Amino acid sequence: MNSPLKALDEMIRLTSPFPESVTVKDWKATGRKVIGWFNPYIPEEIIHAAGMLPFEVTGNNEPVEMQGAEAHIYSNSCSKIRTCWQLQLDGKYNFLDGLVSSHMCDQDMRLQEVWAYYKKLPYMDGLYAPRKRDEVAVKLYLADLEEFRSRLSQYLICRVPDEHIANSIKVYNRGRELMYQLYELRKRDRPPVTGTEALEVSKAAARMQRERFNELMEQLLGEIQSTGREIKKAMRLMVIGTDLHNANQMAALESLDVVVVIDEMDIGIRRAWGQVDTQLPPLEALARYYVMGRPVDKHNWNSDGRLEFIGEMAEQYKVDGILSEIVRFCTYDGWDKFDLKKQMEKRGIPILEIDLEYGHPAGAQVKIRAEAFMEMLESRVTSALS
Amino acid sequence: MSTDKMLSIEDILEGLKKATEGVKKQPGLMKSIVGYLDVVSTYVERIATAKEKGKWVASHGTQQPLEILEAMDVMGVFNEFWGVASDIVRLESVPEALSVSASTGTPTEVCSFFRNMDGLMHAGKWPRSDFFLYATSCCDNVKAFHTLGRRYSIPSFGLERSYFPYTAHAMEHWKNEYKRLIAFLEEQTGKKMDYDRLKETVRLSYRLTELHLEIDKLVSHVPCPLSPECFSGTLVAIRLLPGTQKGIEFLTGLRDELQERVNNGVGAVKNERFRVMWTSFTPFFDPTLMSFMQQKYGAVSVCDMLSHWRGDPKWMLDPDDPLGNLAYRTVLAPGNCQYSSGVDVATNLGDKARRFKVDGAIFNNNFGCKTGAAYGPIIKDELMREVSVPTLTLDCDVLDHTFVTRAEVESQMDSFFEMLETSKAYKERRNLQ
Repeated sequence: MNSPLKALDEMIRLTSPFPESVTVKDWKATGRKVIGWFNPYIPEEIIHAAGMLPFEVTGNNEPVEMQGAEAHIYSNSCSKIRTCWQLQLDGKYNFLDGLVSSHMCDQDMRLQEVWAYYKKLPYMDGLYAPRKRDEVAVKLYLADLEEFRSRLSQYLICRVPDEHIANSIKVYNRGRELMYQLYELRKRDRPPVTGTEALEVSKAAARMQRERFNELMEQLLGEIQSTGREIKKAMRLMVIGTDLHNANQMAALESLDVVVVIDEMDIGIRRAWGQVDTQLPPLEALARYYVMGRPVDKHNWNSDGRLEFIGEMAEQYKVDGILSEIVRFCTYDGWDKFDLKKQMEKRGIPILEIDLEYGHPAGAQVKIRAEAFMEMLESRVTSALS
Repeated sequence: MSTDKMLSIEDILEGLKKATEGVKKQPGLMKSIVGYLDVVSTYVERIATAKEKGKWVASHGTQQPLEILEAMDVMGVFNEFWGVASDIVRLESVPEALSVSASTGTPTEVCSFFRNMDGLMHAGKWPRSDFFLYATSCCDNVKAFHTLGRRYSIPSFGLERSYFPYTAHAMEHWKNEYKRLIAFLEEQTGKKMDYDRLKETVRLSYRLTELHLEIDKLVSHVPCPLSPECFSGTLVAIRLLPGTQKGIEFLTGLRDELQERVNNGVGAVKNERFRVMWTSFTPFFDPTLMSFMQQKYGAVSVCDMLSHWRGDPKWMLDPDDPLGNLAYRTVLAPGNCQYSSGVDVATNLGDKARRFKVDGAIFNNNFGCKTGAAYGPIIKDELMREVSVPTLTLDCDVLDHTFVTRAEVESQMDSFFEMLETSKAYKERRNLQ
């Protein structure tokens, strides 16, 4: 039996209760501002450089009962944005001073608009998230970043200087480097953390001061090294698809004889991937990183690269199968389904596709399908060994 | 799985021919309906005969500068329109195509404009296409063009448009995207762009805009002179045949007929009780619904979002800069300008409601449209707040008539128009207090 990771416990303590956590309360108590952000095309570094706390707006480990959200966002939309809006209606996000979203997907951007229309915060902003990954896209995004910096500076009545952004880039690069190290450790035959623990780490990164997070990450990696922690499970799994913040879902999955060793989610591996170039002017460096520096994602038109990345990671992490979790009404995941399955079939990697509602616990039907999938994986392993 | 009811291009052409003959014999319709169907038939025929005439075919989504295609002998197949044309000819085609699409694993929650295309392609009934063209923003479904292009080995090109298109840098970027598009087309066709020809198509297209605005003024008259059979006339001309003489001839004829009706006090219906605005799309899934509304409630459709030009659309800024003009044209154009902030759209529709003296609005909430799912409520609330116009939200599928029954729609409309008639704002507007 592995003992709990003290550093992770501290991360969870600092980011609880959700969302107005110990961190948020302490931060606000000093008169500083919190800016919510909604998807991975918002460079947290700029908010950080402005002396504000960037906070990812999401749901968490419990499903949220819809009580009014669907009056403003109809039910034929992704349950993640409806969950976030319901949390706002419930007063859970009253601590936000501002909100920034990007047009990574229609629904993310529309949430920002609904927020701006029905509950305008002192600072509201939006960026465009290019679908292409080329120099033209970098230029377009860079122009948006310049304007974002200007508007944020106007809001603060104080220019956010390049030097501050350069410093924030270093802080965030360090965080990425540490999270990447954790991913590397999960390649081990017996990884040191469960997928559930890794998910909690990743969530904490976007809910607390990055400097403190980095300290705790260093501590966590040290703990892993000193304790020789190992997760002993028969099967290794990759989870892909829509961002899921409900760690209980992943825990339910890992209650079977399986450990999640790798993912392909914005909240997961993309948060740990790559480094912003510190030799370039800061905004240009950010533009390059956010447009081209991370693995191809589902919102990129040319998702061939995404499917290749999934296959390569699945092989590198020696997974027995892939679980594709798609929150209903996700257009991007929907259009990748057909080719994803074909490509993984070609690589001989079994894939289980599950459609679900964001934040909801794994219901009986999901559990039955997951169990059947595990049995199938087990029989593959057994027959391969015999 | 049956594919018998799914329409091929030949079936659509044949169906349109029969429809044209049918309307000629039907009394009480606007004369322009013949021109309307002729525009649609011409559009389909140009696609059907492109290859034999040495031209190319590009399947595409919204926001395409079709004038560029026209100047390069590329015939566009607008995927959304193809679904609408299918519904005009045979309502059973789309549901069957959607079933085929679902059988390939495409989720039913994505937009049926694209699922229809997916199903028809899978069944080999989509018009033969040399390449695909698409654009942001939005909707996210345009990813389907890349996905299907890869699946069927059809080259594709995406235009990237900022979600915030009205800034100087976004507009400059958009114009540059057209240069990249031209480079793509030149590479695919082996033909160089003739910029003099482009200027001419742009000039013709601008004339179409002017006619559209003249028609809008006429349609805003009380009683409204525009009947349902020609309701989408301007949209069809602008979205299918911009930069062509054919489009101009049709809209000139439509304008003249409307002028005549206004002069003679002829309305779409004798007793115009309600003036209705469609705040998303008109009921493509039920082509007879607008006529039914006129007959049962005296509710005349006077305007819609899809036929709306944003602001003052004087987009011909410099006749010698066709790409710059087109950049403005496409972001302001009907069917495109809603691809921006929901509040911006709502504000525009509020102005439109005033100009067209609208009593009530209907928002078709397309099951597969996530854009609409979030800006529908903003539009509804803004219309009520700014111009006291209530909205009926109809849950539907943009193309699939089986999604919601006519009985259900009628039941909702009964309640809506009853409520509307007794509302204070309606009585004040009609001086009934």
